[in-house]
Amino acid sequence: MALLDVRNLKKVYTTRFGKHQVQALSNVSFTIEEGEFVAIMGESGSGKTTLLNILAALDQPTSGEVLLAGKSMTSIPEKEISAFRRDQLGFVFQDFNLLDTFSLRDNIFLPLVLAGKSYKEMSSRLLPIARTLGISEILDKFPYEVSGGQKQRAAVARALITHPRIILADEPTGALDSRSSDELLNLFGEINRQGQTILMVTHSAKAASHANRVMFIKDGEVFHQIYKASKSRHEFYQNISDALTVIATGGDRRE
Amino acid sequence: MSKGFYTRLAVTNIRKNSKTYFPYILASSATVMMFYNLLYLLLSKDVNSMHDSSTLSAVLGLGSIVTGIFAFILLLYINSFLIKRRKKEFGLFNILGMEKKHIARIMLLETVMIGLLCIGLGLIAGVLFSKLALLLLLKILAMNASFGFEVPLRAVSITVILFGAIFLINLVYNVFQVHVSKPIELLKGGNVGEKEPQTKWLIALTGAAALGGGYFIALTVKSPLAALNLFFVAVILVIIGTYCLFTAGSIAVLKTLRRNKRFYYRTNPFIAVSGMIYRMKQNAAGLASICILATMVIVMVSSTVSLYIGLEDSLRTNYIREISVSASDTTPDDIKQVDDAIAETVKIRGLSIHNPIRLRYASEAAIQDGNAFTGIRSAGFSSSGLSMLMFITAEEYHRIEGVSVELSEGEALVYIVKGKLPGETLDFGGYSLNIRGRLDKMETIEEFSPLKNSMLAQSYVIVTADEQDLNRARQALNEGEEWLPGFQYNYLFDTKADRKAQADLVSSLQYVMRDLSVHVFVEGREASKNEFISLYGVLFFLGLFLGALFILGTVLIIYYKQISEGYDDKERFAIMSKVGLSRGEIKKTIRFQVLSVFFLPLIMAVIHIAAAFPVICKLLTIFNMTNVPLYAICTALTILVFAVCYAMIYSLTARTYYRIVR
Repeated sequence: MALLDVRNLKKVYTTRFGKHQVQALSNVSFTIEEGEFVAIMGESGSGKTTLLNILAALDQPTSGEVLLAGKSMTSIPEKEISAFRRDQLGFVFQDFNLLDTFSLRDNIFLPLVLAGKSYKEMSSRLLPIARTLGISEILDKFPYEVSGGQKQRAAVARALITHPRIILADEPTGALDSRSSDELLNLFGEINRQGQTILMVTHSAKAASHANRVMFIKDGEVFHQIYKASKSRHEFYQNISDALTVIATGGDRRE
Repeated sequence: MSKGFYTRLAVTNIRKNSKTYFPYILASSATVMMFYNLLYLLLSKDVNSMHDSSTLSAVLGLGSIVTGIFAFILLLYINSFLIKRRKKEFGLFNILGMEKKHIARIMLLETVMIGLLCIGLGLIAGVLFSKLALLLLLKILAMNASFGFEVPLRAVSITVILFGAIFLINLVYNVFQVHVSKPIELLKGGNVGEKEPQTKWLIALTGAAALGGGYFIALTVKSPLAALNLFFVAVILVIIGTYCLFTAGSIAVLKTLRRNKRFYYRTNPFIAVSGMIYRMKQNAAGLASICILATMVIVMVSSTVSLYIGLEDSLRTNYIREISVSASDTTPDDIKQVDDAIAETVKIRGLSIHNPIRLRYASEAAIQDGNAFTGIRSAGFSSSGLSMLMFITAEEYHRIEGVSVELSEGEALVYIVKGKLPGETLDFGGYSLNIRGRLDKMETIEEFSPLKNSMLAQSYVIVTADEQDLNRARQALNEGEEWLPGFQYNYLFDTKADRKAQADLVSSLQYVMRDLSVHVFVEGREASKNEFISLYGVLFFLGLFLGALFILGTVLIIYYKQISEGYDDKERFAIMSKVGLSRGEIKKTIRFQVLSVFFLPLIMAVIHIAAAFPVICKLLTIFNMTNVPLYAICTALTILVFAVCYAMIYSLTARTYYRIVR
């Protein structure tokens, strides 16, 4: 059974007075297996943010279904949705979304505090994660005291600490310089090798080349997808670039 | 651009910001109304035609000044909040190509519109309510109202000028604010990441010490005179303590809480404590001000109310008999003259004397140290050792108490009203008297008010053999001064007649006494009642009035504070809901946070009042108010009313706050 099963997702936005309808997703179906690292690429307006919002249970689809480990996300009652998000999903955002009023440690603890975990359990969970991410030394610092790369690693730790089924990353390198980006993507690869499923939305072909599979979205549909398989990263990058060029010039190819 | 464009824009702006402008308009109108009403009472013919209107207009005048100043501060504060919220809007206008002078023009139009609206509404409401205010005041003063309606033009013009000036100052401030800032700063508004505040232990400890000192003074003060002297010191110490504790102490406490891992790492405290550490940096001074304001309001309202309600009590304390005749510097012959004059006048009036108290004595103030007394001229003034000595002769003692005593020169009987006199001898600046006996009871003295209500912590009655011996002691106290003021004589009695007869008797006594060789002062309880009513009544009225105004102000300040915090917290809560904070939890956390910010100042104010209670009771005795249970009830009721107003605004604020951050 696939970990994440997306079936015929459709999302239509209606303007305030119902005069215009905008179709953000027309028909999206795909599956993600346990342990995969998938990148979703697409231009602005292609529908990838809408897709991510639905996967994050922040938004409801007009029709279609999302199954996480066999359980339909659309059927979860409103009351339990926050707890579900907290326990099953981990988020990494482009602008980090760390709270300035908390130290990095407390930012990482936030979802666990909300889940009512004891301090002892929180610290024992944090220890290995902080070591992997290389932020053990700066846990007591505040977000405004550390660099962008360090902030994003703290955000990754916050996503990991709940042991989520899947990590949803929205342009995680969007606000980082190239060196920090490389470090972060290598970490994603490392976490993925340890068995963590990751779904990442990105603009950058270079970021996408770290994934095992890249899906391209255009006009609200999955337009194309390629697997890394046994290719080297460089070759995979080349494939992604070619695919992007074809999509941008309006080619109509499906695999 | 046409003129209509600016007007339209100004109207849209006000309407768009109605959530913040509506309370501002309401508050301004209310302060205009209250200010006008006070001025109306001050200037209206009805009030000015009353007898004894000078006390009334003095108190009302003071009240108008306080109201004016308060209105000024309140409206300036709210305006500065409003303009901070709107900087982004003006930044956008600026970037869209509107010059600063155009923005100034819009602001001018907005201010004119809002100003006219507020002053207009306030004056209309003021005129409508003025008769009601007058009736209330007259009812309190136990006077009859006349018919008719009056709108004193001077009251209207002063109100318009004052509030016009306030709005003008606000406009100038706003234009200046926009003028000095760059468009990009305007756009950004107030969103800059702030550093975590440091714990300032020194300030926190200073605050605790100052507060402790203030409380110590308030709780240990012994006499009303000492209270009068030290009250101001205690108030200053408590104000300093409050500010220090709110600024530094709160952060120290919050950080200590944060260190307690089992307490801190739970949803409510986790979010609230971390947020409040930052909150306190900006808001501590504001909360401390609210706390002090609340304390003052409650003290003011409860004491004026209890003074007014306890009026009859006070009157009885001050005038233990219906008629009081007193003469200073008297000889036994003078006394006979006074007694005769009183007896004759009472008889002519067809009345009789009941429960008379007659007392001829000499009083001295001295500094007590054990059994030694020093004159205040050489010892200097110190409120702690200051004591009142009342000397009477054995003969006088016999006359008033009906007990004859044999005292030889150098011997004395003592009666302790308040204080302690250990040992066998008394020393008066070198002249000593042996204590021959101690009196357990002295009925006349126990009733006699000047001693009972003395502001001093010590007062004693000394009975000596004769006048010579008595004067020797007095002379020694006054460092051998040859001339001493003579004996004071008091004659107090009831007539059991009605008010009118009493008042007439006072007048005729005053007339008769004018012919005597000594200076005699005649007072009547009923005659003085009107003075008491007009003073306590107008204080009561003003207490209620200013109390209402201050509650309005306090509540508005908190409302705006919470709203501005809501905007600051919006982003925080958005992030937390992304990480998995549910709507119900957000509501719960907000309630917890708003509740603590709201009620912290009030709780602190109640603690202040509890600590100040003994000292205020002592101060009230200066106003002849000795009914402590009455004052306690008034205080409790005032706190209750205040808390209810507070709670209503709290629920409103919490709802608005939630709507902002959702």
